[in-house]
Order: sequence, then structure tokens, then C-alpha cells
Amino acid sequence: MKKYVLYGTLTAIFLILALQFFNLQISQSSLYTEKSLENSVKMVTQFPVRGNIYDHDGRLIVDNRPAFSLYLIPVETTERTIQIVSDLIDIPAAEIRKELRKAGRFQPVKVMRQVDIEKLTWIQENITDLPGIEWKSEPKRHYIRDSGLAHLLGTLGEIDEHELDAYPQLEPGDIVGKKALERTFDDEIRGSKGYRFVNVDAAGRVVGQVTNNKTIRPEPGKHLYLTIDFRLQAYADSLMEGKRGALIAMNTRTGGILTLLSKPDYDVSKLSGVISSEIWDHLLNDPHHPLYDRVCQSGYPPGSTYKLVAAIAALNEGIISPYRKMNCPGYFVIGRKTVRCWKAEGHGTLDLEGAIKNSCNVYFYQLGLLIGLDAWNKYSKLFHFGQRTGIELTNENPGLVPSTSYYNRVYGEGKWTKGMLANLAIGQGEILVTPLQMTQFVSILANRGILHKPHLGYKLVDPLTGREEELPAESTKIEGIRSSVYDLILEGMREVVDGGTGGLSRLYGISSAGKTGTAQNPHGKDHAWFIGYAPFENPEIAICVLVENGGSGGGVSAPIAGAYLKKYFYYKGEYDYELERKILAAIAARRDSLKALNDSLQTLVIDSTAQN
Amino acid sequence: MFQLFKKIDYLLLISLTGLLVMGLLALYSTSHTGNGGGGTTNYFLKQLVWILIGLVLMFSVFWIPHKWIYAAAFPLYGISLFFLVLVIFVGKTGQGAERWIQMGPLSFQPSEFAKLATLLAVARFLYQGEKDPNQPVNFILAALFFVVPFLLIIRQPDLGTSMVFAAMALPVLYWAGLKLSNLFLIIMPFLIILGSFKFLTFLLLMAVLVIFLVYYKRSQLVIIANFFLNIAMGLLTPVLWNHLKPYQQNRIKIFLNPEVDPRGAGYQIIQSKVAFGSGGGMGKGFMEGSQTQLRFLPEQHTDFIYAVIGEEFGFLGAMLGLSLFFLLLFRGIQIATIVRNRFNSIVAIGIVTIIAFHTVINIGMTVGLLPVTGLPLPFISYGGSSLITNMVMIGILLNFNKNRYEY
Repeated sequence: MKKYVLYGTLTAIFLILALQFFNLQISQSSLYTEKSLENSVKMVTQFPVRGNIYDHDGRLIVDNRPAFSLYLIPVETTERTIQIVSDLIDIPAAEIRKELRKAGRFQPVKVMRQVDIEKLTWIQENITDLPGIEWKSEPKRHYIRDSGLAHLLGTLGEIDEHELDAYPQLEPGDIVGKKALERTFDDEIRGSKGYRFVNVDAAGRVVGQVTNNKTIRPEPGKHLYLTIDFRLQAYADSLMEGKRGALIAMNTRTGGILTLLSKPDYDVSKLSGVISSEIWDHLLNDPHHPLYDRVCQSGYPPGSTYKLVAAIAALNEGIISPYRKMNCPGYFVIGRKTVRCWKAEGHGTLDLEGAIKNSCNVYFYQLGLLIGLDAWNKYSKLFHFGQRTGIELTNENPGLVPSTSYYNRVYGEGKWTKGMLANLAIGQGEILVTPLQMTQFVSILANRGILHKPHLGYKLVDPLTGREEELPAESTKIEGIRSSVYDLILEGMREVVDGGTGGLSRLYGISSAGKTGTAQNPHGKDHAWFIGYAPFENPEIAICVLVENGGSGGGVSAPIAGAYLKKYFYYKGEYDYELERKILAAIAARRDSLKALNDSLQTLVIDSTAQN
Repeated sequence: MFQLFKKIDYLLLISLTGLLVMGLLALYSTSHTGNGGGGTTNYFLKQLVWILIGLVLMFSVFWIPHKWIYAAAFPLYGISLFFLVLVIFVGKTGQGAERWIQMGPLSFQPSEFAKLATLLAVARFLYQGEKDPNQPVNFILAALFFVVPFLLIIRQPDLGTSMVFAAMALPVLYWAGLKLSNLFLIIMPFLIILGSFKFLTFLLLMAVLVIFLVYYKRSQLVIIANFFLNIAMGLLTPVLWNHLKPYQQNRIKIFLNPEVDPRGAGYQIIQSKVAFGSGGGMGKGFMEGSQTQLRFLPEQHTDFIYAVIGEEFGFLGAMLGLSLFFLLLFRGIQIATIVRNRFNSIVAIGIVTIIAFHTVINIGMTVGLLPVTGLPLPFISYGGSSLITNMVMIGILLNFNKNRYEY
């Protein structure tokens, strides 16, 4: 009997064990298999290489260099690791702890981007004392040519919550374009992350590759070719050095931007990696606001350049005939106010062409009153003022084109005066435009109504296949303006350069047209504007120069535009600096001989008087 | 010599060989895990040496006259008690317990040998003069043989091994003639200890006790003594609990709910179950178990070695191992029933109990049925002291089987 008790007990207990074997290995086998896979297979993210950026002719502007980011894994890291890392990368330990708490226990938290190679080496050497630390390769931007390109290229940064919502395929810690081209073309040039799977041991060390079909190779981003000509961009940068303002040049036949410069700018390489708070504070507190893209982010009063809009409105609406003459005594009285022309002694009697050539304020005050606000507003809108150009930049300012309802809203119905309207006709008052809008405007004029949308992207090239993909350019026609109106306006603009206010923009051997502007503003000296295009007969380039508080448009901006255009044609092999030098020398010689003649005549007169 | 081999019990030998081979395979697998396989101790080779020593000892024990074993009982008991006292003074500490004695390059655990020595001493005590363990004096004296080493080991502290003495006492005394009803009265206080974590189970157990006592018409003295003993035990439980080392308390708490601390102490149980369960029906293959090879499985060469077998050889391998154990133990009980010498019979049952207890506790822990105690798995876990003791015990069984017709 006793032995059966023992046999029975033994059998019963072993049966229980066998049942548990069955339970774990047969019934719940898949559960535990899955858990075992979670244990030992780790997904490793492979960051893609961001596409390079080239100029139109293939000059490399931006590429990438290897860099490493430092991560901590909350569950594995220790207080000691946090302390050491905190000392090493100069971030308070409390801040790191906060970041770690926010993340999941097993999710690596990026604590530092672009770690120095010395620091990384030190970490690698001491890795056994630093549980929970890891690093990942994450290419960083490397700027080969950056003269004057900061605003254009824009910066990169870690993805924020809004962007995470917009791009569900991205993850916290990913690097995305934050501004300008890096932002606009982010989808194309970012590439896509790859994933590979590795076996890790219990200490998290990689012990081997897993070959499974879930491996995804990272796809490099496409290379972006710009319409920019880097030589011209760099030249423009040198022309605008030390000034505040913008210089934009555009191919009138395509809308492709050749140069897009905003000054002052900043060292883009310092803002596209890890931004030191010192540099950031310095940029933010700079009274010249170098972070501001003057090309399209701020609106300026256009000054006299805008007289062209009033002139077109008046002609096209048939309000005046092209031969309508008005008198400029140097001042004009509106209601109880007297406003002055820029030329104190007055321009005398002028027709429209003369008024454009000499940029007569008094003529356009009168013209403004004749046109009326609604027609003025209509033509402003027709030339796309008050709306974004849609260029591939961020935070574009639409500018402001006031209308009757705007004035009624701001000042109250009937409370605003005709003086305001007169002011608008000369590009002063509430109207705000961006230099980019002015460039687009002058290009439309040069094309006699055809608008090629300004753009920076020229083509995308797949780095793996080499396949090229031209970026589409959009064109529209501004309808309803008579050809004869363009004839007259363009002729006026030609005269501006040829002996008018824009004489200093003049090219020798190539005809051009333009308009100066000297915009009063509440911030100090006048803003100096120049818009123009060349060649006059067969336009191919439009230009706009703005120098903030620079003084007169004809004196400050026109020569810059002239120098730029010369360089443009010179690079094309169409401009001859030698010829220019000869012509100028001849003119100087003639002036000298005239002066000598004059002097000798004077002497003659004095002599004869003395003899008397 | 040929005569000797004819008398060997092949069933016992085959199951033993099977288990040893299985253990060696598992150890070979764990010795080659991780990146620095060479850097870690090569448990496989060391264990192989221990097995060779064990085999020599086993066949020596098999070969000697069985009366020598009887004669050695009390001296061995004395020696093992001496070492258990010695370990208090010169013991090497491992994981918060002083268990080891260092002798030259070797270290051994006296508690392993004490198990066998105690068994032999108790058996001899009961054998001399055909003592009836139902007699209170005999029972108390027999129990004392267990209690002394039990107390010495529990203060090391080594709860797992000391439990072996308690577990061994019951079947041995039962086999020696202790009535089931008396056995019940002995077990009852321990059930009360476990039960009194909850007041309701405590009351329930007390009720069972009273009904039992009345049903068996025990004397009033017995009834009253048992009643108060059990109440005292129930009251003592919280005190006992507080006396456990924090790591022991933790082990029990975490056994009850391993998920409370998956990265801490519960980690072992979870990882063991994951390794075991992920083996599936056929296993991942020799040296292919990711949990073992990547060291997710803790203590894989000792406490959790059966999870290595479960992972790499699957349900099939695990059941094979279990069957080999069953065969070995079953054969052990058979030998206990057929030997004519009462001493031999009691010792055989004791050996079966010791091996069975280790096996069940260890495998039960590996598959998450029992708390983590740190008892090695006989013949399979790495460790010289345990292996040699177990093989010597098999040697004794072989010896007794050879001499089964002798008195």
C-alpha cells in the first residue's frame, strides 16, 4: 500500500509538470516565441542621406558630412551615466532626466546632435561604464558655397509636434527642413529612413545581423538643382556687403530666379546643426534682424517704382491720353495740405513719359486723384500685388494693397482723405510690397503681360538612377492691358535709364529699362529702390534692388543693379568692360575738353573786361 | 567482475546516463553563448571532470559491501555536522549566504553532503531495534536528526536546501512506518504557516484539524496539544515572515506576481518562461536558442538550465528529460520495495525523495509553477558538490539493488 502512495504522488506531480510543459511550449508557444523575438531582435534605424543642393550649372552648394547623435535608453541608463553625459555635453542633468521621463522606457532619447568626435571617442572607450548610452550616424549638412545663400537655403532641425502630425511617417527626433528651400523641398530631398534588424544580447550589444524580409534600405534624398547662378549670387553678395536690403534677379523668360539675396544674413552652417544659445541670442538681438528674409518676408513702401502702376491704370482706363500734360511747380496742394515734389524748383510742364523719366511726384499726385482708389486697386491686384508669389520659400509676406473697404475699416467711412489716394499713386502710404513682388512686376512689364511664376527649383536628380525630373514652371497672362500702354510705359522706363533718374544703372552697349524709387518710411532714411530689365528690345533678365534706408534709388540702388546686370551679360560673353572703359574715358575727355573750352572762354571774357 | 556487471541495474544506469548527457549538452550550449565564449568559464569541461569523478565514486559505492554504508552512517553524520558548523566560521559567501568551504582549488557545499549523511543516520537510528516512529520518543529523536542540520543550513541562510531536510523527513518516516494520520498531524502546522497569511484559510485549516482529530478519536492530550500548537504556528507566521531576508521575501512575492517587476527580480521567472515556452514543440535546435545564446536567460548553467533544454530541444526534449527523471525515481521506489534490508529500504526512499524534491522544485521554478529557490537540478545543473552527492546516491541505490536479497 505504502509504495502505491509514493508511486501515485510521484506520478501526480510529474503530470502537473508535464501539463505545464504542454501549456508553455504547445498552447502558448506562439506567445512566448513572439516575446523571445522582442527580446533579442532590435530594429536599427538607418538615416538617409539628404539630397545635395546645386546651382543651375551644377555647382555644389550643400552636401553632407558624417556626424553622430547621442542617445540614452531610459530603462538601461543609470544616474551615473546621466551625470557623466550631462558634464560631457554641457546640458543640465535635470533636463536630461526630464526628457527621459517623457519617453517610453525602451525608446532611445536623443540627447545631443552632432557630438564632437573627441567626445564620441571618449564615450566609445568608456562604454562599459556608461550603460544605456548609444550613438547613431546621422549625416549633417555641409555648406561648400554659402555666400549670400543663408536665407535661400534655410535651416534644418528636429521635427516638432505640428510637423509630426503632418508627416505621420516621421518619428520624434527626425531631422527635417525648417525654413526656406530645405523646408519646401523637404519631402523630395529628405529621403526615407531604412530599417535593419540585428540580434542583441541581454546587455543590448549587437551580436549579429538578422536577415529577414523586413529589412528596408534607406533611400537617399534627391539632389536639388536651383535656378540660382552661384557666381551671380556671390557677386550680388559682394555688391550688397554691409548694406541692409535685397537683390533679386530673375530670368524673364522662365521665372527662374538667378539671384535671391537678403542682407544682412548669417552663417547658415551655425544654424543648421546644433545651435548654441550664444549664437542664437546674438542673431535675435541684432538690431539689423539678420534672420529676417527681406526678399519676401517683409513689406516695404514701393515709392516711385509704383508710379508705373498708376500710369498703366490711367492709360489703360483711358483716364488720360498719353500726351496729357500737367504742370509741376515743385509742390501740390491737396485740401489744406501742401505736398512737395522731390525737385524743389519743379519739373515744369510734363507729359506722362517725362513724368516717368523724371519721377515727378506732382504729376502723379494729380493722376492719382484722377484714377481713383478702385481703379488703382484693380491694377495693383492685376499685377499680383497684395498676394504671395508662391515662390518656394517660407513665411512669404503677401504685402498690402489698400482698398476702399480697407480704408473704411481702418479710418471709418468718409473719414479718409483724397490725400491718401494721391500718396498711394506715388507708392507711399499704406501700400506694402516685397522686393520679390516688384521683381515679378517688372518681369511682367518686360514680357508685356506674361507672368512666369518666380521659382527657385530647377530640377531634381535621383542620386541612384541619375534620372532627372524638371520642376514645372507656371505661366499666366495678365489680360486686358493694351499693347500701346506697354509701349508707352516701357519707353518711359527706357528713358529713366537713358538720362533719367536711373542713369547710374546704365549699361554700355546693351539697352535697358528701369524705374527708381525713393520711399519715405518711418524708420529713418528713405529706402532706395531700383527695378529694371535688360535688354530693352529682347528682355531676358529682370532685377530689383532694395537698400533699406539707403537714400535715393537713383543714387544707391541703380548703380548696384547696373553692376549686377553688367556682370550677368559679362558671364554670358555679351558685355565688354573694356568698351565701357573706353566710352567712359571718351565721355570724360569730352567733358574735360568742354570744361577747358569753357575755362578759356571765361578767361577771354575776364581778359576783355579787364582791358575795358 | 563480470558477475558484478550482471548485478547492475541497467534501467537506473540508462536513465542516469541520459540525464547526464542532456546536462552536458545544455552546458555545452551555455558555455558557447555571447560574444566572448572563451572568456566565460567553460562549464562543460569542468562538469565533464566532475562526472568522471562522480562515476568513479558511484561505481566504488556500488562495489563496496552494503554493510559499510550502514557502518559509515553515524560517522558521516558527525563529519557533515562538523563541516556545517565550520562553514559558519570559514564559509565563503555567495549571493548573501555562506555556503561554501574552500579546500585548495576546490570549493564545496557541506550542505549537499549533509543531506545524504542525515538520511543515512536517520535510517540507521530507525533500523536499530526496529523502532516504531509512531512512538513519540522515537519520532522526536528521529526528527532531531533532521532538525539539527536543518537549523544549521537555514541560518546560512539557504532556505531551499534546508527545505530538502523537511521534505525528506516525511516520506522517510512514512516508509519507516509512521501512520498517515500522524503524518497529517505533522504536516498540519506547516500548512497552517502557509495558510495563515490569510485569516480565512487559517480558520478553515483549524476546522479541518479539529474534525480530523475528533474523527480519529485521538486522546484528549493529543487534541489539546495539537490544537494549541497549530494556533501558535499561525500566530508565529508573521514573525517568521519578518525573519526572512528581504531577497527571500522578494522571491516569494515575485513568484506570486512576476509582472510587478519585469526588469528586476521578476525578470528571472519571465525570462525563464519565455525561453522555455519559445522552444515550442521541437525546440530551436542545439545551440540555436536565442534566449540562451544571447544571455536573456539568467543563471542558465545552474538554476534555470532546464529552460535551456526547453528552448533548444522543445517540448520533446523537456518531456524526454522528465521521463528520464520519472524512470529513475520510479526505479528508486521499486528498489526500496524489493530490498530486504530495512535500513537499505529507508535509505532508498530517502534518496528518491531528495532527488525528486530537487527535480520538482527546480523544474517547477523554471516553468513558473514554484518560487525561485536556487535548488540545482540533479545530474543536469552545473556544480560539483551536488553532482557528486547525487551520483554517490545513485551508487548506493545500485549497491542496494545488487544486495537486494541480503538482510
